[in-house]
Parts: sequence; C-alpha cells; structure tokens
Amino acid sequence: MRRGLIKWREDELSAGDVGERIARLRGAMKTAGLDAVIAYTTLVRPAAVNYFTGFTPYWSDGVLLVLAEGRPLFVTALSKRVGNWLGSVNPTCDILHSPKPGRLIGETLRAAGALKVGAVEADMMPGALIGDMLAASSVALSDATGLFAAVRAVPTSAETALAQKADAIASTAFAGLDLSAACVGDITGPLERAVRLAGAEECYVAIAPDLRRESRLARIDGREALGDLFAARVSVAYNGVWTRRTETLAHSGGRDGAAAARFAEFADRLAGLDPSIDLGARIAAEAGRSDMAVEDWSIEAPFATRPLKLAASSQAPLVEQLPYGVLTLRARIGDAPMVASRVLTHSEAGMEAAA
Amino acid sequence: MSLLETRRKRLMEAMKAENIDLLLLHGSAWRNDYLRYATDFGILEGEGLALVGRDGEVTLYLDDALEAERAGVELGGVRTEHVGDLVGDVGRIVERHGNRRVGAGPAAHLPYGLSRRSEELRLSDATALLDRLLIVKAEDELNAIRSAAHLADEGYDVFRRAAIAGREDFSMIAEIEAFFRANGADDNFMIIGVGGPEVRGMAPPMGKRLKEGDLVTTELTPCVDGYFVQICRTLVVGEPSEAQLRAFGVYHEAMVAGIDAVRPGVTAADVARAENDVFRRYGLGDYVTSEYTRVRGHGIGLFLDTRPQILEEVDMVIEEGMSLIVHPNTYHPEVGYMVLGDSLIVGADGAEVLTKTERRLFAVAQH
Repeated sequence: MRRGLIKWREDELSAGDVGERIARLRGAMKTAGLDAVIAYTTLVRPAAVNYFTGFTPYWSDGVLLVLAEGRPLFVTALSKRVGNWLGSVNPTCDILHSPKPGRLIGETLRAAGALKVGAVEADMMPGALIGDMLAASSVALSDATGLFAAVRAVPTSAETALAQKADAIASTAFAGLDLSAACVGDITGPLERAVRLAGAEECYVAIAPDLRRESRLARIDGREALGDLFAARVSVAYNGVWTRRTETLAHSGGRDGAAAARFAEFADRLAGLDPSIDLGARIAAEAGRSDMAVEDWSIEAPFATRPLKLAASSQAPLVEQLPYGVLTLRARIGDAPMVASRVLTHSEAGMEAAA
Repeated sequence: MSLLETRRKRLMEAMKAENIDLLLLHGSAWRNDYLRYATDFGILEGEGLALVGRDGEVTLYLDDALEAERAGVELGGVRTEHVGDLVGDVGRIVERHGNRRVGAGPAAHLPYGLSRRSEELRLSDATALLDRLLIVKAEDELNAIRSAAHLADEGYDVFRRAAIAGREDFSMIAEIEAFFRANGADDNFMIIGVGGPEVRGMAPPMGKRLKEGDLVTTELTPCVDGYFVQICRTLVVGEPSEAQLRAFGVYHEAMVAGIDAVRPGVTAADVARAENDVFRRYGLGDYVTSEYTRVRGHGIGLFLDTRPQILEEVDMVIEEGMSLIVHPNTYHPEVGYMVLGDSLIVGADGAEVLTKTERRLFAVAQH
C-alpha cells in the first residue's frame, strides 16, 4: 500500500507537463484511428495513469479514459468521501465515482459515440472490469500497449528531474548509514526512515546480509546478523517516478572497504551514461578502462503500467529507446561479489536526439 | 506443521471436496491474500499467478525479475519462475494440463487475458472456495494474528511519540515504517487525518503540519508473516477540548457496544447496528451513513480488509475463528473525523480483543 507523501507539486510536474503528454497521446490515437484510450491503475500498476495525470492511488483502483477531446476522466471505485482528496492530488482530470467503474466507462463511451477503444495492457486489466465495460457499450477493444510505449519513450525534462531527485533521496539515505551496524534492521530501518523523511511516496528495501553466502537481495528479518560484506537496495517512488539504488557495503573495520569503494566509484562512472541503444558496448568499454570484470548487467525502465520492468541485460540487448533507466551491475573483486544500481538519465543532447 | 503447510492442507481438502484438480490464483500488492494463502509470498512489484495441484505442489509465476529473485530467497517449498508474459505463459501451461477442472480466483482481479479464455481453459470461479478458507481461519493462523497484535500496539506508541506540533504528517509515517521494518513487520497499511472539522476522512499524508488543537487520526495495520492486524486511535495535539472529549465518548461507547455484540451466530449487521444505535441515540444518525463513513469494521487476515464488511446491510453470519476489527470511525460535525478500533478474534463465547492500547483520546505535548 502507498503510505508516504502524496501531493500535487506543480513545480515538479505541472498541469502543462501532463497536458503535453495527453496531447501526444491524442496525436497517436488519431493516427491509429482510435476514439479513446483507457489505462488501468492500482498501486502496483500505476505508471501509465501516473504518466498522464501525476496520480497514483494509495488503495483501490481506477481507470483513466482519454477521449479525442475534453478533460480526461478518471473513473474509480474509491468513494465520494475521498473525492476532495482525489481532486487535490489528481487535478487535471474530471473524477467519477462508481462501485462498477467498468460499467460507467462503458456508458460514457457509448454516450460519446466511441467505437474503437485501445487499452494499455488490455490482457492485464481485471477481466471483470473489462466485462462490465463491454456489456455497457458496443466498442471494439484493442491493445494499445505499443501505441502508449511510443508516446512514453520520449524523455521529458520533468521526468528526468524527478528520477534524479528520487535517486538523490536514496543516495543521501545510504550516505547516512552507520556501517558498524550489527543487524539487518540497523540498515533497513534507517534507510526507510531517511527516504520517507525526504518526502518519498513509497520505499521498498531489500538486503543481502552476507554477500559471500547469498548475493540475491530479499526482505530479511531485521534481527538477522550482518556479515562483513552486504548489499542493500532501496526502491524509491517520488512523485510517481520510481528508481532504485543498490550499494555494496563493507562493515566498518572489515577487509572489504577498499573493494566496495572501488566498485561504487565504477558504478558512479557508469551513471553518466545515457540509457541509449548502445549501452552494452559502452558498459564494456568503461569496464575495460576500469579493469573491472562485470559478470552481468541489466537495465529496468518504465513499461506500460509498470513503474519499472526489465528492459535489457547482458544477455538481451536494448532494442528500444528508454525515457530513463536503472542499471544494475554485478561483478567480483577478488573473492568478493559486488552489486550496484544507478539511475541513467538522458543528457540534454541525448534528450534532444531522443525527441 | 508450518503455517504454509497448515493452509496447504486445508486448500487440498477444499479442492478435493469441490472436485477441483488445479487452482489458478492471482495476486499483487494490491490484493494478495489468495496468492499468499498458497505460496506465502508477500509480493511487492508486478503480479503473480500460482498453480496449485491437488497433490499440494505449487508453482509461483512472477512477471518481475527482482521479485522472482526475492521469492527464490524467501520461499522454501515453492517452485518460482520469472515469466515475461504472465497471462500468455501461464495460460499455455494451463492448456497443457489437458482435460482437468481448473478453479481460478479471485474473480474480480483475474486478468482479462485469462478470464476471456475461461471456456477454453476450463476455468471455474474458485473465489468462494478461497474466501471460506480466508475468512474462517485455522487455529495456527489465529495464533499468528495474536502474536502480531503487539506490533500494532507498539507501533501506535511510536506514532504517538512522533506526534509533535510543527511536525509534518509524512515524517510521522517515516518513524512508524522504520520501526516496523526493523521489528519484523514486512508491510503496513496506514492512512492519516490531521486537522479539525474540515477533515472528513483519512488519506495518505499530504504534508500537513501538526498544530495545537488538531485531531490526528490513524489506522495502523502492520503485517507479520502475512497477517494484518489493525488498530485505530485518535490523538489531540495539546489538551483536548470539551467538545473533542464529548465526541470521543460516543465513539468509545459505540466501539464497546460493537465488540460486545460480537459472538458466533449474530450477523455483521447486528454488530454494525449495535455501533450505529449509539450514534443515533446521540442524534448523530446521519453520520453513520455512506456519505460520512465506509464501514463499521471488517475482516482482517492475509488481506487487511476482507469480508465480512461490518455494515447494517450485510447479513453474513459471524463464526468462531473469524478475525475482525470493530471501528465506528466516522465524521463528527463538531470536531471532525475521529477513529477508534480494536482487532479481535471471534471465540465461542464472544470477542477476544487483541490490541491492548488504552481506549482514550490521547493528548500529546505541543513541543
């Protein structure tokens, strides 16, 4: 559930920003011959609706309906009692409440004379909701995931700044850790506190308490002991934009401090790369210059309704433009496994080229 | 026998009784109780589908690579696979099971990519089968809920100490979440309200600063080993006014009446009516309607808000082995939104109240 700070911040993502995105969507709709596009949202799949509204539900679900003209409609099962709150955090839409959102969307489509409707990730939407919509209308439903992806791939300065802000929140949280910590909770608790105090909407912390024993990260009981070398990952949602930062951390006074610091410096250098198609080659080049044996890498990026999804890896090259990405690297220095994640955003030149 | 083994045994018995060969269960962080019942995975990102055989074998399919990695560490006895196309890949696996009876649920959340193929995949609705298991719990599950309740109480103590005039609402949440993460609660649902008569409900924090005289309401719902326990309390920044104390008296009386009404054989409506009658006696009957409040309590368990909803129109019978929260939370026209609620287990003789935090309108220092 979302329980962090959720508010409309016009200085970070303005009504004009989301309006420009809606305009690009309508351009794509016109080209594709669609009368309307719908996108579903929950706290798990908020990315498409958030892209067009800046809004993420803390609870329940909803559907954004974009017709060829007029303000977008947000239809939700959330009751009218939270209508004021919804209006304050989702001010660019008209908000409609219904215990049966699918039926209300169907009725709205019918009233608007819409016949061809695209749904972002249609197959992942709740079948009951789609069933209600189709029963109340006579639309032809198609999948609009590809159409949305083309609109979504264009990097924007607002999103880039939000991704950088989210990453800065995570970076500051890591910088405040006491590395003489004895237990998992001494790391996960302070990380979560710091991220939320900085105004994050959500925070997930995962940890590998003893990297030499297990290099996969998970949610581990706070009372478990830490090894000499451990790793933590903080996934941060800030104003609807998700990033991750992973750090390999050496217990203070232990033997791994120098190796962990060297790997962090390498990861920081890679954070300067654009998330562009030739990413794999540029990681390899940087690894060569730094004499670093990268065993594996992957990059996640927003995809359809998902805030972050695997987009490419050392085994599967990047084939699509990304608005921004989270690069995760795994390497080994001596007998010490290392893992780090960094946010990659487009430079101004990269953004111009991508646009 | 572990909790998961207990649940699996019940699941297999229910499948046999219903003559279901294979169960297909969906889950995400929004609604994960069906999936967690069979797999014990507390999913955070993406979505999952589990296939449960009548022999108890379970395979968990996840569409998020990091979640699949995490499941590999956190789960024992459950085969986990990362799939790129969740409904496509799992649909093909169900196809390969041939001419078997496949139960699927929950119906409200099953992805369209599967539900539109219901006939072809021989899917029948198994929502009711799972609901029965989720609502009336095994003794091991009730023990897990009992042992989780202390964290709700301790969490409220942290919340109360964090409530200081001048502080922003989200910073209080930061303290709570850090406390829960460090003390074994892997999830928490909470909403908050800050202010006076202008506040008509709770929501995520909006950046409000606490000031003297504010009512601060919260539902805290920590999750331990998958089971949610909830507590609702209200505090005042500074000394409570006479109006606030008078209003609180109504909520307290209503909650006690609701809890006293809980016993096997009554309906959810009976419990709601016991709460609402108190409001009506004080001339506050308008404020127990859907215009001002959602429910007067609800079930708790592997999801934080399960059936039965405690409402006067819900005739579901209360049974021994259910776990509930009774909370007459609503708007009060004089002082604003106020909450008070305790989690309980339905025993043979009535309610076993789990949360032990004092039932009073707390006053916290201004500085």
